[in-house]
Amino acid sequence: MTGAPGTSAQAAVGESYLTHGRGIGSWLFSLDHKRIGIMYLALIAFSLFLGGVFAMVVRFHLWNPSGGLVSNDAYNKMFTLHGAVMIFLFVIPGIPSAMGNFVVPLMVGAKDVAFPRVNLLSFWLFVAGAVLFVATLVVGGIDTGWTLYPPYSLESSRGLGILLALTGVFLAGFSSILTGVNFIATIHRMRAPGQGWFDLPLFLWALYATGIIQIFATPVLGITVALGFLERVFHLGIFMPEYGGDPVLFQHFFWFYSHPAVYIMILPAMGIVSEVVAVFSRKPIFGYRFIAMSSIAIAVIGFLVWGHHMFVSGQSRWANVIFSFLTLLVAIPSAIKTFNWLATLYKGHIVLKTPMLYVLSFFAIFGVGGLTGLFLGALATDIPLHDTYFVVAHFHFVMVGAVMIAFLSGLFYWWPKMTGRMYDERLGVASAVLVFLGFNVTFIPQFLAGTQGMPRRYATYAEQFVGMNRVSTVGAVLLAAGLLVALWAFVASLRSGARAPANPWGGATLEWATTSPPPHDNFAVAPRGTRPYDYRGLRQEPGQAGWVPVGGEGAR
Amino acid sequence: MIPIPDRLVGALLGAGPGYMPERASSVAEGVDQVFGLLFWVSAFFLAVIVGLTIVFVIRYRARPSRPGPEASPDHSTRLEVIWTAIPLLLVFVIFAASTRVYLAMTETPPGAAPQRVQVTGKKWSWWFDHDAGKGSKELHVLLGRPVELVLASTDVIHSLYVPEFRLKQDAVPGRFTRMVFTPTRAGTYPVLCTEYCGTNHSTMTSIVVVHPDQASLDAWMQEGKGKEETLLQVGIRAFDEKGCSACHSVDGSPGVGPTFKGIWGKTHDLVGGGKAVVDENYVRESIVKPGAKVVAGFEDMMPPTPLDDREIQGIVEYLKSLKEGT
Repeated sequence: MTGAPGTSAQAAVGESYLTHGRGIGSWLFSLDHKRIGIMYLALIAFSLFLGGVFAMVVRFHLWNPSGGLVSNDAYNKMFTLHGAVMIFLFVIPGIPSAMGNFVVPLMVGAKDVAFPRVNLLSFWLFVAGAVLFVATLVVGGIDTGWTLYPPYSLESSRGLGILLALTGVFLAGFSSILTGVNFIATIHRMRAPGQGWFDLPLFLWALYATGIIQIFATPVLGITVALGFLERVFHLGIFMPEYGGDPVLFQHFFWFYSHPAVYIMILPAMGIVSEVVAVFSRKPIFGYRFIAMSSIAIAVIGFLVWGHHMFVSGQSRWANVIFSFLTLLVAIPSAIKTFNWLATLYKGHIVLKTPMLYVLSFFAIFGVGGLTGLFLGALATDIPLHDTYFVVAHFHFVMVGAVMIAFLSGLFYWWPKMTGRMYDERLGVASAVLVFLGFNVTFIPQFLAGTQGMPRRYATYAEQFVGMNRVSTVGAVLLAAGLLVALWAFVASLRSGARAPANPWGGATLEWATTSPPPHDNFAVAPRGTRPYDYRGLRQEPGQAGWVPVGGEGAR
Repeated sequence: MIPIPDRLVGALLGAGPGYMPERASSVAEGVDQVFGLLFWVSAFFLAVIVGLTIVFVIRYRARPSRPGPEASPDHSTRLEVIWTAIPLLLVFVIFAASTRVYLAMTETPPGAAPQRVQVTGKKWSWWFDHDAGKGSKELHVLLGRPVELVLASTDVIHSLYVPEFRLKQDAVPGRFTRMVFTPTRAGTYPVLCTEYCGTNHSTMTSIVVVHPDQASLDAWMQEGKGKEETLLQVGIRAFDEKGCSACHSVDGSPGVGPTFKGIWGKTHDLVGGGKAVVDENYVRESIVKPGAKVVAGFEDMMPPTPLDDREIQGIVEYLKSLKEGT
């Protein structure tokens, strides 16, 4: 849409990336990071819905100790697909691919990511991976658990399903690697003039640390599933004892990726928390450099703790001792972040809007998730708790509680920027409260069940656990209701939301310096770097006009 | 007066451990102490996090009487050092306490020679070969006598879990794993599988019976004895059928391969350097992959011998029976 000279400034007022180019093709093959981000968001939201449906089947099956809603085999497929879809198609790509794609170039004042074509390729690899997962369902599903442990996962009785799933993981993994490469290159090379490393928003520090993990750990996942594929087809003797392989080797490879993957999930979530807590406290983030460096520390130490998934696998006891120590150590940078966030609230001007409510609930839930990790990092307590519902509750607190809640916080925070529309604050608040309550009611009983010895992945269970399971199922319904209210808020916003101002929350990072939604090229004039958490240059306009620079446009 | 359940009292006094199942093994108390330590450390930090969040939100929330944030520093190296050092110190304490207990729980407990039981997991049941020669779907042990379980699996990975013992160990196909403990309370406890293994994973259960005295255990051992081939018999049969005696003597006389007499538990020097203790995993490897660790002074000439898991367990029992001086 090239206008004649002299009309471009006028065109920019009415035009945004949403109206730049029409038709389905202009979306599917768009090189615009914003459109790619929105397409990721749509796919990831659908994955969350699908994974959620599987979760509800699991929870309702467990209403009675003898199961009974579906057969054992169907139950086993349900929890496998729930885990696989949620992990590979929701929590891992969720924040980086959907929100990162949209926000990263804006935050550095660039027109796009460093490699827009690679970005589109990454998106389509992800689509291909997701399609293969769905195809797995069509050919009858898999019941291996998302961890795909051989020998069970590679038994000769298994057909097409496992091969489709392995290929799907492989493709989704490559998508993740390419996204990481793109973000690192963008952050290195495309920062606005005057934007030094310590002027970066902390969300970018978090995504930078995430990119390191994506680039160095994900190839190992690719190799592992490729070896699994070859082992299943050609019986090479890598993982299967019957051909001379070692199943524990698979666990080493798998967790060498999949534990750092937990940090691929949680680091971007922490990045969102850092943005939101500062903006809604109206004061600079406390301890910027410590938060930034703790992201890097988590990324580095996170590579050295994979063995804690294998404390009862028969690995040497001294290996266990070393992995236990390193695992406990990774708690430190997380603790540093938490204390800095709390210090940011101190003497602030705390505005309790939806994104902030989600962040406040993040503090409590991430607190529980992190602290219960100590029980599993310490050897003496991990031995009885390993593979029980205690573990299920722990990782749901981290991966669902913390990551999904931060995802929702970020979505409510950037929604006006993405769509140019505000949402009904009452619906946002209702969703935040319901999600927090529903989440706790679902997963706190699972800590108790695990402590008393209920193993995970059980289609049926002992009578003593019936009360806890029922409370958990009721909680899951509440949680689902909270998510549906959030969906309602977004749909209503698209249909009839008020126009969003450029800067509805008073953020000082660069994405708020352009219009909502941004134009195709992001900024009418290339911006200079700002101090990301200095709010003194902004004042709030009356009504719905949001925040503007003190002294009018161009004063920044 | 309202009766207060023991568990609630335990929960309030001992916190976390109050929720745990009863303690029936030598390792349970140590585990529960570490659990209690972690519970209180966690409760403290959670209270700090949630408490400060609530206090700050109430005091500093935006409201008409409060126009904006108050001046406050945006960093403090002293605070950062404090809230790094205190958790770090606690990590060392937790690590020390937990590792001490863990190392103790993986050592053979002191006291009488342990009762050895070969455990085999398969879809979807457990099999226990007791050292008196009796095989059973149940595990039978004696109060106060150390037990050593050697676990194997014939198909996929399983994991043996007894909540009352606070113990769990994977049974991995292609290798042997080990679990040691001393039962400290007579009774019957559930044995569960905690590594997902397919359709009936959740019903792959058994029981462990802790007998209060030797007479009671002996009586059980005698029940129905002699009907089935014992592991030792399986081993002797495999030894004969595969022609092992062509190279390995059982009376100490030299041969093409090392004699089996007194070989169990011995440490051998290997061809090419290194040492190996003759244990379950070494025996398995020497049968399946004989060239991997050849004893110094012998040649690598044994062919791989296709024995199934039970035959390997049998050979292990046979080697154990060939003690020096018998």
